[in-house]
Amino acid sequence: MADPTRRRVLTTSMLAALAAAGSAGCASGRPWPWATPPKPAPDVGVLRDVIAAEDAMISRYAAVISAFPALTGTVSPLLRQHQQHLVQLRARLVIPAGAPSPSASPSATAHPRRPRIPLSQAAAISYLRAAERDEAAALIGWLAAVTPSLAQLFASIGASEATHVAVLRSARSPR
Amino acid sequence: MTGADADAGRGVGAAAATAGTDALQSVLAAENAAIFGYGVAGAYLAGARQGTATAFWNDHRSASDTLAAMLRARGTQPVAADDAYKMPFPVHTSGEAVALATFLEDGVTTAYLGLVAAGDAGLRRFGARAMQDCAVRAAFWRGSSLAFPGFPGFPPTR
Repeated sequence: MADPTRRRVLTTSMLAALAAAGSAGCASGRPWPWATPPKPAPDVGVLRDVIAAEDAMISRYAAVISAFPALTGTVSPLLRQHQQHLVQLRARLVIPAGAPSPSASPSATAHPRRPRIPLSQAAAISYLRAAERDEAAALIGWLAAVTPSLAQLFASIGASEATHVAVLRSARSPR
Repeated sequence: MTGADADAGRGVGAAAATAGTDALQSVLAAENAAIFGYGVAGAYLAGARQGTATAFWNDHRSASDTLAAMLRARGTQPVAADDAYKMPFPVHTSGEAVALATFLEDGVTTAYLGLVAAGDAGLRRFGARAMQDCAVRAAFWRGSSLAFPGFPGFPPTR
């Protein structure tokens, strides 16, 4: 059995050392194991790409409406649906504070910040239609990399964008 | 990998395959119901609208054939169509027929949404493409688009 007096002396000296470390503000020693948050899940990067693409789509619509106010009635309902998409997508994005940011893929950076709008209304409609078609196809390509729940959201948004293609195809430019 | 891990992996794979097969059966049942429903709707439509309904009816017949073949390839007997389906509301006019066609396309879109969650990567893509086709047909009948096709309520729940 250990000598109780010796144990008391050791405990006292350990506490003194710990108190000294505390008052020194942890100037030395290893960082706490949880100081670095876990890396975001792989589908976080995909979700950020999709959010970036949705942002770019909204920018395109806003630019078209700004350039051709006569198209507002035709394209505003579609713009509102994209804004609804963005709200739902952003609600799914959960990143621990301080976690390393997932690198943006080339597809996320391919969308221009300031879209170049065609010079005519008909061309602007075609421009939006092509963007919708491309995005609906891209969403299918992203499905395999995400959770089932997120895959359903992507599939639904892709279906909405496919209907936008049809709506824009039947849209006639106001005179 | 231990033998137990391998067994567990096979178990997960088998469960996923079963979920995919079950989801395919559900989608096939939805397509079969849509085929019946378009038969009813088409009877109350005329002219170009009836032509469109016939084209969409053929789309669903083709989809049903494809799904049945996919199920047989999995060694599963495809679910049979019922003789008749309960109408969601009375259909006696062209307007009601259009509402029925919209109801059918919305329903099949939702069925494919289930496949997107249950299937492997290939089934997910297949289901998502089919959702786009159904949503476009629904938008034709509705005359407008939806923000979240396939989700009966908005916003979608997690």
